[in-house]
Amino acid sequence: MVMDKQAQKHLFEGMMEQHKGILWKVARAYCPDEDDRQDLLQEMMIQIWQSVHKYNHQYKISTWLYRISLNVAISFYRKSAARAGKHAVLTEQLMEIPVEDKSEKERQLTLLEQFISELKEIDKALMLLYLEDKSHAEIADILGMSVSNVGTRIGRIKDKLKERFSQLKS
Amino acid sequence: MNELELKKLWQATQDKLEESLVVNKKHTEDITRMKVHNLVGSMKPVKIFTLLVGLLWVGIGGIALSSVYVNSFSGANKFFLFSASIQVLLTAMAVFVYLYQLITIYQVDITDPIIRTQEKLASLKMSTLWITRLLFLQLPVWTTFWWNETMLTDWNIGQWAVALFFTGSFSVIAIWLWFNLTYENRNKKWFQRIFSGKEWTPLLKSMELLAQVEDYKGQHAGA
Repeated sequence: MVMDKQAQKHLFEGMMEQHKGILWKVARAYCPDEDDRQDLLQEMMIQIWQSVHKYNHQYKISTWLYRISLNVAISFYRKSAARAGKHAVLTEQLMEIPVEDKSEKERQLTLLEQFISELKEIDKALMLLYLEDKSHAEIADILGMSVSNVGTRIGRIKDKLKERFSQLKS
Repeated sequence: MNELELKKLWQATQDKLEESLVVNKKHTEDITRMKVHNLVGSMKPVKIFTLLVGLLWVGIGGIALSSVYVNSFSGANKFFLFSASIQVLLTAMAVFVYLYQLITIYQVDITDPIIRTQEKLASLKMSTLWITRLLFLQLPVWTTFWWNETMLTDWNIGQWAVALFFTGSFSVIAIWLWFNLTYENRNKKWFQRIFSGKEWTPLLKSMELLAQVEDYKGQHAGA
């Protein structure tokens, strides 16, 4: 069924209002720099608008939005080679945050965010969806892999995470 | 802290952040007024410029050389003519690959699952390697443009040695790069030295992503 312009606009604005958190979380995970993050968010919104006519109601809106936002975030490196240098500086700054002054929970959250930022692109997507409590089936649908593979991969990342947290304790 | 507690902590923090998010209505309105981009509209000016320069070079070169072949072939300097023809032909092939890359990347469906989309995008981006190989393959003809028939009678052995040294070594380098500038060699030092500038970051990143995709697909096959 072809949507008219007004229906597309309505759907798009509804998506942005109700699911803005998806875009924000993905952008935050993939783009530590605030200025670049705004560019990334804008690019995500443009891609969603340009694809909204293709939206198929058989998909959950969140699944569809995760696909677009993750694809845009992972591909963002193609937009500007200059960004690579800026990110390298920012990662260094992130590592220098003094964790001693924070509460135990904040400290663990900082460690978790740092752990996520160090993951490779597809592992990062997997970890993000896992932390969002998505089912293995939905993660498999978003990423395009088998449910068993999702389980295996999450298991591996969790092992790494445990190792990181046990290093902190010792 | 166990993983359940960690998940809860993550979600609580993210939910708090999400609540404080405000979508800029004007911005959303502006986006909905945007026309759907066509290929040219989605291209950066530098890409359009590169493509135009390439097309002009091939177009003008092609017309000029065709005219020599048709009208004055017998009187033309064959060394120049054949060198220029090879150069224009290889540039035309590189422009064609570049155009193919731009069009097919533009057509990739961003709403498809991540692994499929990223595999397509990274593979297409890697066609840049083909462009680089084609451009390196031109190296030897840049040393033969200025050759002419008088060199066959007038040159001494020293001049021949210098000319053949450059043409020979450029040919060896070009052929070696043609066979070795491949994805499989991406971790070799010499490869990374060639692609060390910032402008190559997208290509190197594509290779890294493709390796990740292959790793995931390998896992899938084994699962």
